[in-house]
Amino acid sequence: MSKKFKITICSGTACYVMGGAQLMMLEDLIPAEFRDQVEIVGSNCLQACRDSSNGQPPFVRINDYLMESASIARIVDYLRKH
Amino acid sequence: MEFPKIMNNCCVEVDYRQKNCGKQRIGGDVFLSRKLKEQRRVISVLSDGLGSGVKAGVLATLTSVMGLNYMNSFRDPAKAARSIMDTLPVCSERHISYSTFSLVDVDFENEVRIVEYDNPPVLVARGADIIGLGRLQVQVTRTDKEPVAISVADFQAQPGDRIIMISDGVSQSGIGSKPLPFGWGVEKTGNFIKEQIEKKSDISACELATAIVEKAWLNNGGHALDDITCGVIYFRQPRQLLIMTGPPYDQKKDRLLAELVNSFPGRKIICGGTTANIVARETGREVHVMLGKIDPDLPPDSIMDGIDLITEGILTVGRVARYLEDRRTPETLNLNPATKIFRMLLNSDIINFVVGTRINEFHQDPNMPVELEIRRNVIKKIAALLEDAYLKETSIQYI
Repeated sequence: MSKKFKITICSGTACYVMGGAQLMMLEDLIPAEFRDQVEIVGSNCLQACRDSSNGQPPFVRINDYLMESASIARIVDYLRKH
Repeated sequence: MEFPKIMNNCCVEVDYRQKNCGKQRIGGDVFLSRKLKEQRRVISVLSDGLGSGVKAGVLATLTSVMGLNYMNSFRDPAKAARSIMDTLPVCSERHISYSTFSLVDVDFENEVRIVEYDNPPVLVARGADIIGLGRLQVQVTRTDKEPVAISVADFQAQPGDRIIMISDGVSQSGIGSKPLPFGWGVEKTGNFIKEQIEKKSDISACELATAIVEKAWLNNGGHALDDITCGVIYFRQPRQLLIMTGPPYDQKKDRLLAELVNSFPGRKIICGGTTANIVARETGREVHVMLGKIDPDLPPDSIMDGIDLITEGILTVGRVARYLEDRRTPETLNLNPATKIFRMLLNSDIINFVVGTRINEFHQDPNMPVELEIRRNVIKKIAALLEDAYLKETSIQYI
């Protein structure tokens, strides 16, 4: 059974220093209610910081949606709404 | 674009292992080795000081340091030997000054000169066979003392040769025991070396030296009755490493970047997410980030077929530069992507850098919480450190 959300965390340099380092712990910190619904993978670079119209790093991709200035709180918020 | 041709298809690996006599904390055997980069020479000395412990350690240290320096500046073995013997302090108990040595001098064409004084003979293994050396006896006249003889042997080393230097703690190990009433002896030591090489034809200098020292120790029933030392010099194919970091300045060269990685005949590291993505795209492979074990300081590494290690770029490379600068030892560091690179650097002889010069503009944003250096400068610094402090050969190519 495929999971409802596929979350890709960028671990490129820009994302990492702009707060992405904390995102690496998402798997441990995600609320229990979502644990069965998400698949978390890393990416060595989503190439999103190349285009400033994408916003600020760190970037996370949730299914087709590219989230800028991502944080664990914002990710959880997004999951709650969808 | 090509990698520089290897000048010498043979490089010299030197390592040694030692066990001190009894519970002595200081060894009476000293093994020293020095690479003279400009002359492409490697000089190694094994010296055994009279007795054991501190006093022997001082004699052996004096002997080996002088041996290194004299061979370096004069190359006349008799002169070097005379100066050493004249300088050694006289033992207050035994009223003699005495320290034995074996000196091995390897020049840039792998011409070897071996100078020996009273140590067990240096062994030369070609493949698994111990070969004989034409030794020449040379008289050393000394001030106020009887002349003594040293032996000098010259030969041309070939790729795959090994030179094994042992102290008498090895050749006399097991003496008085039932299986080895007269000690292990040089011949049996030679047979043991043959077995080890037959078992593993590319056994490293460190592994062979360890095997010999451990065996000698076991011959004594797990004791060191004398200082046990073994140094090994191994003429082997150089180990090459490729570090590729940064996307090419011109996107048209992406294809070339991938071809360079594919054609490289050694171990391969890619530092940089974009660089790894380019190689993956051009070769139709996939990159997977290893989220499992994460070091809080550095972004995680990734895996891809055909590449030994993939890490993030500038943060990781910057950390490697710091490790090299601080002369850290990899064993004492947490395992993270930077220590993995550090370890691979130390295990290689020739390191080729391919540096893409395209800059991620976002990295220059003054709002970044950390200062990100320009990749090209960090790589230059790493290459200089590897050359000067770690005696490696390096090359840098920009793309």
